[in-house]
Amino acid sequence: MQRKTKRKNQISQISRRRKILPAVFVLLSLLLMILPLESPVASVKALLSYIFIPQIRLSHATLEYGDGVSRTIRELLDTHQENERLKAEMSQLRLQNAQAKEIFAQNERLTKALNIKSPRGWNGIWAKTAYREPTQWNSVIIDKGAAQGVQERAAAISLQEGQPILAGVVVETDENTAKVLLLQDEDFSAAVYTQESAEEGLLTGGGSAMLLMKYLPVLSKIKPGEKVYTSASSSIFPAGILVGEVDALETDESFSSAPFAYVKPQAQAPSVRELFILTRQENEGKK
Amino acid sequence: MNTILKLFLLFIAATILHWALMAFMGGVGVSLNVMLVFAVAVCAYLKPEYGYALSFVCGLFLDFFSVKLFGCSALTLTLCAAAVYSLEKRLDFDGILPQMLCVFCLSLLAFLLNCLLLKVFAGFSAWRGFGSFAIGIILNAFLAPFIFRVVRFAFVRGNKSY
Repeated sequence: MQRKTKRKNQISQISRRRKILPAVFVLLSLLLMILPLESPVASVKALLSYIFIPQIRLSHATLEYGDGVSRTIRELLDTHQENERLKAEMSQLRLQNAQAKEIFAQNERLTKALNIKSPRGWNGIWAKTAYREPTQWNSVIIDKGAAQGVQERAAAISLQEGQPILAGVVVETDENTAKVLLLQDEDFSAAVYTQESAEEGLLTGGGSAMLLMKYLPVLSKIKPGEKVYTSASSSIFPAGILVGEVDALETDESFSSAPFAYVKPQAQAPSVRELFILTRQENEGKK
Repeated sequence: MNTILKLFLLFIAATILHWALMAFMGGVGVSLNVMLVFAVAVCAYLKPEYGYALSFVCGLFLDFFSVKLFGCSALTLTLCAAAVYSLEKRLDFDGILPQMLCVFCLSLLAFLLNCLLLKVFAGFSAWRGFGSFAIGIILNAFLAPFIFRVVRFAFVRGNKSY
């Protein structure tokens, strides 16, 4: 009889635990969602970073090692051909270098004569896309962080066929990783201009494949196919980085709201793999 | 203690697999969720004390990378764990088909719940087209037998689970 009662008590204890446990975790999750991201949640994230960052580094190092092994084998197999190609390229580059030196000297003379402030080169570091959040394609985690000089609000640029294109902006940094908000995100914004009609506007992410160029003049002359570049009035991005091209212009017949243009981004979110992160000196330098 | 150590090691292995697959699949726009499959597998074989705690931690791991909302995946995976424990008497988790079916349905629900929570709490639409959604869920289901087998191998001796 006593054993029966004991068994009954045990079962009721287990069933109570089964009800309490999920309730506790659900409440905790809801609390984390409701609290503002800045203060208490930031502390929880900081605490978790001590647990998860070493794991992330281990995962990334494992992947890098695996990738490195296969790349080394591939490279070894291609070395001879590559060597020949590089030799030809080098002699071509020597020629171009000699021409460039002359052009630079000429440019310096003209800059001095016309009293123009010469733009400074971009400084930064290359980082690899290490992780993508499965449900949020508009942000990526890169394998460089504060320790390597990556700072919040730094511009992220990617290269496509040798041309720099705007990819996003750094929104969070940890010691060895950083989060980059891609330009497709609704929270992203940058001052831009169109190449031919030379009209300025505010570019924001559309949350989907298209970007929006807002606050255009009422009688905007923007045409589909025009290239869109970052403007010098942008506080984060250096001027002249290709963003994409105009897809369509939307105008309000009643003129009650400013026209806006749909911009097709050059950098597609899933294809962003390597990013050039501008360092602070650069951002200050461009001003 | 042994169970906790094994769980910890399996969790690390799952995060590495998740990271590797996301690095590869993320580039082609597929939403694969290894952590969800791992949490479901653990819940299928282990007691609720371990299952709920691990699901919550797996959720926090996913939330750690999010810039929009913190706690969303933790809630989703906790609810998935609750679903597994309520189904454990009706489903035989040793069979490949029930494993795949369970992961398929839970991935579907988790994805929709994630989208809904992100929309409600962060005003952000996580929907990236039917292709990404469907392929991710189907791949999750195909991954299930492998992960269930590993978890079963680690925790189940004969018919006895921890």
